Amino acid sequence: MTFWIVQALNGLQLSMLLFLLSIGLTVIFGLMHFVNLAHGALYTLGAYAAVSAVAATGTYWGGFVFAPLAVAMAGVVLYTGLIRRMRKAGPMSQVLVTFGLIFVFLDLMRITWGDLALSIAEPTLFTGRSELLGVAYPTYRLFIIGLGLAVMLGLWVLLSRTQIGAMIRAGVDNDQMAACLGINVERLFFIVFCIGCALAGLAGAVAAPVLSVTPDMGTQILIPTLIVVVIGGLGSLKGAIAGSLMVGFIQTFGAVLAPQLASVSIYALLAAVLIFRPAGLFPAKA
Amino acid sequence: MFQQTRTKTITIVLLLAGMALYTGFAGFYGRELIIEAAYLVILAISLDLVAGYGGMISLCHGAIFGIGAYVFAVLTSMYDISPLIALPAAIVAGAIFGLFVGAVTSKTSGIFFIMTTLAFGQMVYVYVFENRALGGDDGLSGVERIDLSWLGLDMGNSMQFAWFSIVLAGLAYVVAAAVLRSGFGRTLVGIRSNEGRMRALGLPVRRYKAVAFAISGALAALAGTIAAQQTMFVSPQMMGWMMSGEALVIVILGGLGTLVGPAVGAVLFVFLQHEVSELTRYWHMIVGIVLILVVVLGNRGAYGQIEHMIMHRRRPVAPAKSSLEAASEQEESHA
Amino acid sequence: MLEARNLHKAFGQVRVTNDVSIAVEKGERRVVLGPNGAGKTTLFNILVGELSPTSGTIRLGGEDVTGHSVEARAKRGLARSYQKNNLFNDLTIRDNLALAIATATGAASRMGDTLRDPAIVERIEEVAARVNLRELLDQPVDSVSYGARRQLEVGLALATNPRVLLMDEPTSGVGPEMIRAFHDLLKSLPRDLTVLIIEHDMDLAFDVADQVTVLNYGEVVFEGTPGDTRESSLVNEIYLGGSVDA
Repeated sequence: MTFWIVQALNGLQLSMLLFLLSIGLTVIFGLMHFVNLAHGALYTLGAYAAVSAVAATGTYWGGFVFAPLAVAMAGVVLYTGLIRRMRKAGPMSQVLVTFGLIFVFLDLMRITWGDLALSIAEPTLFTGRSELLGVAYPTYRLFIIGLGLAVMLGLWVLLSRTQIGAMIRAGVDNDQMAACLGINVERLFFIVFCIGCALAGLAGAVAAPVLSVTPDMGTQILIPTLIVVVIGGLGSLKGAIAGSLMVGFIQTFGAVLAPQLASVSIYALLAAVLIFRPAGLFPAKA
Repeated sequence: MFQQTRTKTITIVLLLAGMALYTGFAGFYGRELIIEAAYLVILAISLDLVAGYGGMISLCHGAIFGIGAYVFAVLTSMYDISPLIALPAAIVAGAIFGLFVGAVTSKTSGIFFIMTTLAFGQMVYVYVFENRALGGDDGLSGVERIDLSWLGLDMGNSMQFAWFSIVLAGLAYVVAAAVLRSGFGRTLVGIRSNEGRMRALGLPVRRYKAVAFAISGALAALAGTIAAQQTMFVSPQMMGWMMSGEALVIVILGGLGTLVGPAVGAVLFVFLQHEVSELTRYWHMIVGIVLILVVVLGNRGAYGQIEHMIMHRRRPVAPAKSSLEAASEQEESHA
Repeated sequence: MLEARNLHKAFGQVRVTNDVSIAVEKGERRVVLGPNGAGKTTLFNILVGELSPTSGTIRLGGEDVTGHSVEARAKRGLARSYQKNNLFNDLTIRDNLALAIATATGAASRMGDTLRDPAIVERIEEVAARVNLRELLDQPVDSVSYGARRQLEVGLALATNPRVLLMDEPTSGVGPEMIRAFHDLLKSLPRDLTVLIIEHDMDLAFDVADQVTVLNYGEVVFEGTPGDTRESSLVNEIYLGGSVDA
C-alpha cells in the first residue's frame, strides 16, 4: 500500500510540474496558434535563474520569486524581437525558428552557467519528510503538489471569473471575433505570452531542488509537455490538467511497473489521440 | 514543380565530385567527415522529398534513419547475415515504416502532422532505448561493412568506403529526381500546393502521401545503413527527435524544396560544424542563429537563394514563391 | 444522370439543406438560382461529397454514391468548379491543367514525365484554348488576373473530362466581356455533358438553361423551364422581395 501511495504522490508531483509548463504552452498555442518549441528552454532558464538568485540572496525564496520574473523578462524580449513577427508565418516557420532558439538558449546557458549540473537546496521551511496517508513523504515534493494545485485554482479563477480571462477564452474560441468585439488582441497575446513564460520560469525554479539543473533539462521535458498539450487539447485548461495527470501517472507508474511498455505507451497514446481525436480530449473550441 | 535544371545538375555534380576529390587530399579524419556528409546528403534529400515537395514536415526522419541503421546492425552483428542482404532489408524496413507513418498521418496537416510524426519517431526511439535486447542506450557494436571485394573494392579502406558513400548519395539524388520528375512527383507537388483541389480532381490523396513517405523512408534508411557501417556501431542517439530536427535544419539551411539545396546544406553543415567546433565550443548557437536568420529573412536557404537569383536573371516574370512560403500558406489554409 | 433524393443537412439546429430532391438528365443544362444563403453551394458540396448529408441519397449515372468520397465521385466523372478560386496558386497554368489531366487519365501515378506525354500536351492545349488561357500557359497562377483565374477554375474542372460538371458561380466578379466569353464556352461544350450551374446573372441563366431550380432557405421552391421561371410570381418575389443579392 505504501508503495502505491508513494508512487501516486510521485506521479502527482510530476504531473504538477508538467502542468506548470504545459498550461503556458497550451494557452499560447490555443490563443495565438503559435508553436513554441523553446518553451522548454525557458523552463531551463528559470531553473538557472533560481540557482543564481539563491546564490545571491542566500534563500530559496529569492529564486522562487526571481525566476518567474526573469523568464517573463526574457519572454518580453523574445516576443518583441521575434515571436510577434513569426505569428502569421505558419507552423513550419514557427517550429524552425523556435527550434533555432533551443540551440541558442542551450549554448547561452552553457556559456553563462557551464556544463556541470548545478542544484539548489530545498527551502528550510520544507526540508525533511512529512507524514501523509500513513507514509513519510518528502515535504518539498508535497509543496510542489500544493503549488501546482494552487496555480490550477488561480488560473481557473483567472480564466472563468475575470475580464482578462473572458478575453482569453474569447480569443481562443475565435480571435477574429474577439478582435471585432474590441479586444486588443495584440496586447492580449503579449500578456498571455509573458504569463506563460513566467509559469515556465516558476516550473524551473520549483524543479531545481528536485532535479539537477543542466542545460538540456528543457529539451528532456519538452516532449512530454508537448504531449500533454496535444492530448489535452490546444488552449484548454481542463485539457492541460487532464493531460498532465495522464502523462505524469503513466510515466511514474510505468517506470516502476513496466519500463519498456510505459514509455512507448505515452507516444502510442499521443498518436492515437492525434489520429482519432485530433482536437484533443478536451478541445477548447466548441 | 521539380525541374532538373542545368544549375541543379552542375551543382550536384560539382558537389559530389568535390567530395570525391577531397578524399584524395584529406587525411583519415577528413574522409570520415566526407562519409558523414554523404549520408546526411541522402537523409536531407529524403526529407526534402516529403517536406519540400510534398509539404509534409516530418519530425520522424531521424527515427527512420535509425531504423535503417538498427536493422542493418542487428542483422549483421546479431544474426550474421551478409550486409549484401542486410542493406536492402534495412531499406525495405524504412520504406514499410514510412508507408505506415505516411498512411496513418495522411489525414492530419499543419502542426498536427508535425506532432504526429514526432510521436511516431519518439515511439521508435524510446522502444530502442529501453530494449536491452537491442543494446538499450549502450547501442550495438560489431556492425559489419558491406563486402565489395568482388568489385575489387576494400570497404575497410576509409577512402574507398567514402567513395562508396558518395556513389550512394549520387544514386539517392538520381532516384529522388526521377521520382519528382514523374507524374507521381508532379502530383505530389500538386498535393502540397492544394490538397483539397487534388481530391476534388479525383486523386486518392492519402495513398499518394503514404507512398511518397515510403519512398522517402527507403532513402532515409539507406542513409542510416551508411552511418551504421561507418562507425560499425549504432546507438539510440542517432534516432532521437534532435536528429530529426537536425535533418530539418540541414534542409532549411540548404534550401527547402530544391533537392540540390539540402545536399549542399548537408555538406556545409558537416564542414562548418567541424570548422566552427575548432574555434568555439558553441556550435549549436551558431546553427540556431543562422537557422533563425534564414527563416526570418526570406526562407530560401543557401542554394535556394542562389537558384532564385539565377532564375530571376533569366526570367524576370513572376515573383516565384519559395516552397516554404507555399507550404506555410497551405498549412494555414488547412488550419 | 445525377439524382439526389430527400437530401437533408443540418449544422446543429440550423438546417441548411431541407429535403432537396433534384434529378438532372444526361446532357441537361440545369441552372440553380436562389438568393445568398439559400444553400446552393451547400447543395454542391453535398453532391460532390465535400459535405455528407444528414440523410438522403445521391446517384450518379444510376450508381449510389452517397457514401463515396470526393475523389471516388470525381473518378466517376463528377467535376466541380468553385465560387472562390481554389487553384494551385504557386504553379503555372500549364502545371495546373497538367495536374487535372494527369489525375483523370491515371498519368499521376506513372513514372514518366507528364509534360512529355504528347496526349497530355495536346489535351492541355485543347482545354487552354477552350478557356482562353493559351497565351498565359506558362504564367504562375498568382501572377495572372482575377479573370484568368476564374477561367482556370472552370478549366481545371473541364480538364478532368467529366460526365457531370458542377459550376459554382463561374462568372462571379468578372466583367461583361468575360461573361459573354463564358456564355460561348457553355454553348460549345459537348451536348452529352451534364451541367449544373449556380448563377446570378439571370439573362445568362435563362439563355443556357434547359431547366431551372430555385432554392430558398435550403429548400427547392421552384422547378421549371426558363420561361416558367420568368413568369413565376414566387421566383419574382424571392428575387425582388428584398433578399436580392449581388
